[in-house]
Amino acid sequence: MRFTFIMAFVATAVGCGKTPPASFRLNMVQATKTAAPESGMEKPWSSWANDRQKQVATILEAMYGTPDAPVALAETGLDLAKLQLAAGPVRSDIVGRKNGLYREHCAHCHGISGDGMGPTAAFLNPYPRDYRPGKYKFKSTWRDARPARDDLTRVLHDGVPGSSMPSFALLPPAKVDALVEYVRYLSMRGETELALYTYAEQELGVDDTMPTTKEFLVDEILTPIVEKWQGAEEARIPIAAVPTTLDFTKPGDDPANHESVARGRALFHGDGGCVKCHGVTALGDGQANDYDDWNKVIVEWGKEVAGGLGASQDDAGRAAWLHAATDVIEGDALRPRPIPPRNLRLGLYRGGRRPIDLYRRLYTGINGAPMPGVGPSGPGGKGSVADAEIWHIVNYIRSLPYEFDGELGADRPMVAKDRL
Amino acid sequence: MTRLPPLSIAAVILATLFLGDIVAADEWGTIKGKFVFGGAPPSAGELKVDKDPEVCGKHKLLAEELVVGADKGIANVVVFVRDKDVKVNPEAAKAAAAKVTLDNKDCRFDPHVAFVQVGQDLVVKNSDTVGHNSNIATVKNPPSNNLIPAGGETAIKFTSDEAVPAQVTCNIHPWMKGWLVVRPNPYGAVSKADGTFEIKDVPVGEVELQFWHEKAGYLGEMTIGGKAEKASKGRKKVAVAAGGTDLGEILLAPAVFQK
Repeated sequence: MRFTFIMAFVATAVGCGKTPPASFRLNMVQATKTAAPESGMEKPWSSWANDRQKQVATILEAMYGTPDAPVALAETGLDLAKLQLAAGPVRSDIVGRKNGLYREHCAHCHGISGDGMGPTAAFLNPYPRDYRPGKYKFKSTWRDARPARDDLTRVLHDGVPGSSMPSFALLPPAKVDALVEYVRYLSMRGETELALYTYAEQELGVDDTMPTTKEFLVDEILTPIVEKWQGAEEARIPIAAVPTTLDFTKPGDDPANHESVARGRALFHGDGGCVKCHGVTALGDGQANDYDDWNKVIVEWGKEVAGGLGASQDDAGRAAWLHAATDVIEGDALRPRPIPPRNLRLGLYRGGRRPIDLYRRLYTGINGAPMPGVGPSGPGGKGSVADAEIWHIVNYIRSLPYEFDGELGADRPMVAKDRL
Repeated sequence: MTRLPPLSIAAVILATLFLGDIVAADEWGTIKGKFVFGGAPPSAGELKVDKDPEVCGKHKLLAEELVVGADKGIANVVVFVRDKDVKVNPEAAKAAAAKVTLDNKDCRFDPHVAFVQVGQDLVVKNSDTVGHNSNIATVKNPPSNNLIPAGGETAIKFTSDEAVPAQVTCNIHPWMKGWLVVRPNPYGAVSKADGTFEIKDVPVGEVELQFWHEKAGYLGEMTIGGKAEKASKGRKKVAVAAGGTDLGEILLAPAVFQK
């Protein structure tokens, strides 16, 4: 017994089996995609690109720290105490409180860097969310706005039905709070990285290095990102009063709802445009070969790279870039998957099943997904369906799982018993 | 009449001198040119119309990522003045009051590349008999994706310029692709079907132009007036003369578009 203990001690002391400290991975897809070679480069492309990646990594570490030691710049408004509770390896602090919550609960799917590429990610459908672009689907804010804190809290509390995201309702609120803060931190970090690549692609010449002044990094790059996150609490969409011709406490086939459901059906097939993707049957069998924004980047860039490899390659820099791009698409991204429109006859709604949840999905559409909004795109705008009328579509959608399939008429899809 | 203190007199003299300067610089010239394809014009492929075939299938829709006319003129090349602090001609500034229309017509975006200024009204409408959605992937402005029912329209204003044109797509009809150029001033153009472009009333002096095309990205290699030029990120400084500056034929090699 004592011998084993000593051996274990020796093993730790010499570093045998010791894991290296966790580190953030660069967004290699964006780092490579935005670093297409230009004519007149003196260095070989790979060492030129490597230099730029090092500059970005150094800047990011200075602004955000490491997975074990996060940094919260005052300008971000992030709460360092919360981040420290969530960051780092799973461990107990001096009062016996568990730390390292992100790695305990989230990292295996969402990845250390919040890139949605944890070890289990490839086996999940849908893939875990990649926080880095700062886009979230299920929220109460305008489509382009960031989610409010309570939107993220709700997703953690309820999970995402129909996906692999479980509910964390058993965690005490303080821990959920810390995780929400850490997700915001990973998003801000990811958005900062993206903004640096975009800046380099659009502004920097071949021989320029990334500026490292406070004016540039904080005022020009960080501030617009932070403003979006801080503005989220005030960016809620308006919620129209529920029309009196509609009663959500009663089922869709109740006479009290007949008129409303009929109106919802008319909008579903008409100005709402829902049938275009969800299909006449509402089984999600309309336009079904589209991708969400996260996957689309890979698909479109993949096509460009494949096309480039097919063309003549007399330029060494370009050839090096194309091969690096191929490696990145295969090794640093998950294989893209199309996003099928939701089958509305299952009664399973990823963003929540309450009427208000469906209202929000319809009003702004789903950020990052192809689903467009039927409400206005911003305050004061005009949507394709009046705000109050959206409630009728909600009512109709809620009635769909209970609609007799005889009501589908000629649109009824063929099932096994029809063929016999 | 009260006597002006000496300081005010000095100020008046200075102001006059300064104003005089502005008046002297108030000369404007037009930049024009023509993009020419340096090879046999490629034929545009036919698009696969597999959604709403009863409406969209009626039109023979061709790919528009590289449109070269019979006389080799290249359409849809974007040119704009890059200088942020460029002085704007009051006449040219009036263009911002007009509305720009981006139509979903015959299951394509019309125009294929639209030019809009910051603060100008962009009306996105749908002249088709089927619903469309216009997914506008702006970077500095909030991206939007609105459903536009048959015959419907929506208006958008932009608060910031976009460094590169933003892609516009319709998720319902995946072949539909268009572009939106958002600039802080009227100094930009999209080349016409014959490859020509014109940017009117640019202040005389040197300006930096940026050239972009959807298939080629920044135009880094151009042959202007018979002289091969390399333009990092498609940027090129141009001297604008009072009588106008004609860049003449801007020859783009087919390799530029092989991406």
